[in-house]
Amino acid sequence: MRKVIFILMLMAAFLLAVQPVLAEPLWKMGKELTINSLSVSEDGTNVAAGTQDATAVLLDKDGAVTYEYAAKNVVTGVSLLASGQMLVASDDQTVSLIGSDGKPVWSKNMKKLVKLLSATADGQVIAVSLFRSNAVLLLDMQGEIVKEIPVGIDITSMQVSAGGEWIAAGGADQYLYLYNREGQLVSKASVTGGINEVAVSGDGITVVGTTENTAVAFDSSGKKLSEIAAKDVITSVHITKDAGYIAYADYSGNYYIGNLSGRELWTAKEAGAGRQIRFSPDGKSLYAASDKGAVFRYDVGHLLQSGEKAAARKRAVQIGAVVAGFAILIGFLIWVKTYKPHIPKRLWKDKYAYFMLLPSFTLIFLFLYYPSFSGLYHSLYKWNPGGRSEFVGLANFQRMLGDPYVAKGSFNLLILIVTGLFKTLVPPLLVAELIYHLRNKRAQYLFRTSFVISMVIPSVGFLLVWQDLYDPNMGLINKTLEAIGLGSLSHPWLGDSKTALWAIIFMGFPFVGIMQLLVMYSGLIAIPEEVIEAVRMDGARPMRIIRSIHLPLLSGQFKLLIVLALIGIVQDFGSILIVTGGGPMDSTYVPALQMYYAATKFSDLGYASALGVSMFLVILLITVLNMKFIKSAE
Amino acid sequence: MQKKAVLAAGFQQTKAAGRRRFKPAVWHQTILYLVLGLFVFLTVAPILFTLFSSFKNNAQILGGFWSLPKPLQLENYAIAFSAVWRYTANTVVYSVVGSVLVVLLSAVSGYTFAKKDFLGKEVLFLMMLAIMMIPGVLTLIPSYVLYSDLGLINTPWVIIISAAAGGQIFGTFLCRSFMGGLSNELFDSAKIDGASEYTVFVKIVIPLTVPVLMTLFIMSSVGIYNDYIWPLLTIKSNEIQMIGVGLTQFKNQFGISDMGVEFAAYMISSIPLVVLFSFGMKYYIQGLTQGALKI
Repeated sequence: MRKVIFILMLMAAFLLAVQPVLAEPLWKMGKELTINSLSVSEDGTNVAAGTQDATAVLLDKDGAVTYEYAAKNVVTGVSLLASGQMLVASDDQTVSLIGSDGKPVWSKNMKKLVKLLSATADGQVIAVSLFRSNAVLLLDMQGEIVKEIPVGIDITSMQVSAGGEWIAAGGADQYLYLYNREGQLVSKASVTGGINEVAVSGDGITVVGTTENTAVAFDSSGKKLSEIAAKDVITSVHITKDAGYIAYADYSGNYYIGNLSGRELWTAKEAGAGRQIRFSPDGKSLYAASDKGAVFRYDVGHLLQSGEKAAARKRAVQIGAVVAGFAILIGFLIWVKTYKPHIPKRLWKDKYAYFMLLPSFTLIFLFLYYPSFSGLYHSLYKWNPGGRSEFVGLANFQRMLGDPYVAKGSFNLLILIVTGLFKTLVPPLLVAELIYHLRNKRAQYLFRTSFVISMVIPSVGFLLVWQDLYDPNMGLINKTLEAIGLGSLSHPWLGDSKTALWAIIFMGFPFVGIMQLLVMYSGLIAIPEEVIEAVRMDGARPMRIIRSIHLPLLSGQFKLLIVLALIGIVQDFGSILIVTGGGPMDSTYVPALQMYYAATKFSDLGYASALGVSMFLVILLITVLNMKFIKSAE
Repeated sequence: MQKKAVLAAGFQQTKAAGRRRFKPAVWHQTILYLVLGLFVFLTVAPILFTLFSSFKNNAQILGGFWSLPKPLQLENYAIAFSAVWRYTANTVVYSVVGSVLVVLLSAVSGYTFAKKDFLGKEVLFLMMLAIMMIPGVLTLIPSYVLYSDLGLINTPWVIIISAAAGGQIFGTFLCRSFMGGLSNELFDSAKIDGASEYTVFVKIVIPLTVPVLMTLFIMSSVGIYNDYIWPLLTIKSNEIQMIGVGLTQFKNQFGISDMGVEFAAYMISSIPLVVLFSFGMKYYIQGLTQGALKI
């Protein structure tokens, strides 16, 4: 037993020891602004960065600034030439050639924002693309336009291969266009998702980084070679000259190296979103830049080694876990054999029962228990699935207390609970009593079933119909108000933050929930006739019977319906998501909706888990209180 | 005690006759009918409105909400059908496959818990019971991450497996309490005649449990059919999307510009539920009342 604990502790220590550490950036600009473009010199030591801060910066191998060129607007592209000069494209509508002293040699006004720039190191091919020009322009070393390659669609990204043989362009129509040096279209490939960046190797192999979180590689004929998935939208891709490796960066700040067979070889995460990733021309160094103004440099050989190491480590941990699992199992078996020898015999005798429960419990443990514990656990983390999650203690819960949407949502939830309890109890009870007091049995049956009819429309369809009824101009409700001369009352019910929540509450009028109705009705017909008969003999009127007999005897049903309603209301956000999406402003937010948005819009999974855990605690409280009351009542 | 009485009464009230001997005035009953009629009308009004409007064009709808559609705009249905048949068909397939799994798992587990005696039975049953305490909001996001790690996101399995895993809990409860009421002598005599465990289950237990299994199937199908958040979160391709998400997308596309088509889409998406309820309403009602009371 002691041995097992020792092994577990050893494993824990091992796991802690292998936590990666964030790299120190090579260079960090003064402001936390996006770096739009990187260009690495031929020898791989110098790197140029074009920034949102309207500067183009040349860094030497130690990350010191050699010079800084100030453009008049955001720098969108930089390209270092072998001669030590640098091309700069900017939103100030110019393309400039900067000499090695940092002074502009020439500056050409292109009359439009210059959005993209890519050039070969020898300056033989210089390609730029202007804002909404739907074309690639080739310039000569003096900045004169020598050729225009019409693409016919807005270009989101463009790159020239290192030798100048190929020009790849990504279109807004989700097509990749590959041109040769002469500007003839060689191939065209369809890409799933928007294209954020393209890169092309010496032999015409292209890589596309998409909004669908994939880096897709094509050969020069436009045939798809492979696809690698990232954890987020890919913001930048690059490929080595020999197409041996591809690098890509994503919006969550993950940087990756992969190869053309679709395998991820290395990955790391830095602060901020990834913006640019570039191999040095010799493929030995990798440079990356973030939207927080940091430039990172990695040694590719080292990375690949560390990537292999990480894979090996992962394997070792997995093997360790399996071994430890076996050790625990064996230890347990020995313990059972020594102290409880009858248990194994019993287990063996009951084997068929366990076998029959196996499918159910596999699903229960894997898909119900595991996510619950995962949610509880990760509510204490800044959760980054697939990557590194950071322990933050109760910070997520603290943040919840200060979140204005949660505050507003909780207040709305309170209103929804109060009105929801009314809706769940009063109309169904009223209808149940009315049906109960019908004398004709056939009519009772007909009325009961006619309320079930409202179930045939899918619940989403039902909500959308109500949304239409509320439409300010064409909706039934406003039109009816106008028709009966109350046009002054017509209103954009869902569009006004004062009425939106109440409009949502009013949906489903007259609120005869089928389950509530049936539960109450079966409660009513279960009341022994003798009791009612006896009271009636004493001259009690129907109202009196309802008050003194029905209501007390239905208290069990009430409790059940109340607890089900409470649990349902705390969790429900689908209807609000469909009808108003929480708006206008924050007027119809509920905490569950905020949880959904935290997870889907902001990828803040830890915070979403904390919200989920809080709602779980509220529901637990409701259930426990309810059980207590039911017990005390019985 | 009370619970038992409710179950016994069920929905065939056999002993209700002669419950009320004194005769209230006729106008009394008339008022009841009127008030109930009003409630029924208000409840089904949105559906009637949808049905009427689905045969009209925009001008006809705005011309008179409750007027009869003349001439009938049947092409509304043609347009709507081409847009939502895929979602509807997908959803029907998921509902049927998911519900069949729910029924199978529940029948087997329910039977095991009801009629078998084994070590740890109480603990295992308690573990199942405890699941009921865990709300969907807690597991929604972690489940998404789990399914995504398993590579099931954007496949039909993400819907089917989650429906089967979640639906079997309630189903096991229902089956366990029903099967617990089956007589042991029946099984014993079958076993004496040489029937295997498997034969007993398939030839005796299942046929006797059909009403409960039907109830379970229908409740589970309705639940999957109406699912919205989970497919919204996990399914990205339109080819395998479900009807709930499909309808919201469809509405964004057509919206107010062509309300008749929009309403026709809602009516088309109701067809599977109409079919289901037309033969299974009784079971659905049973499930709601009995199941709710058991939890």
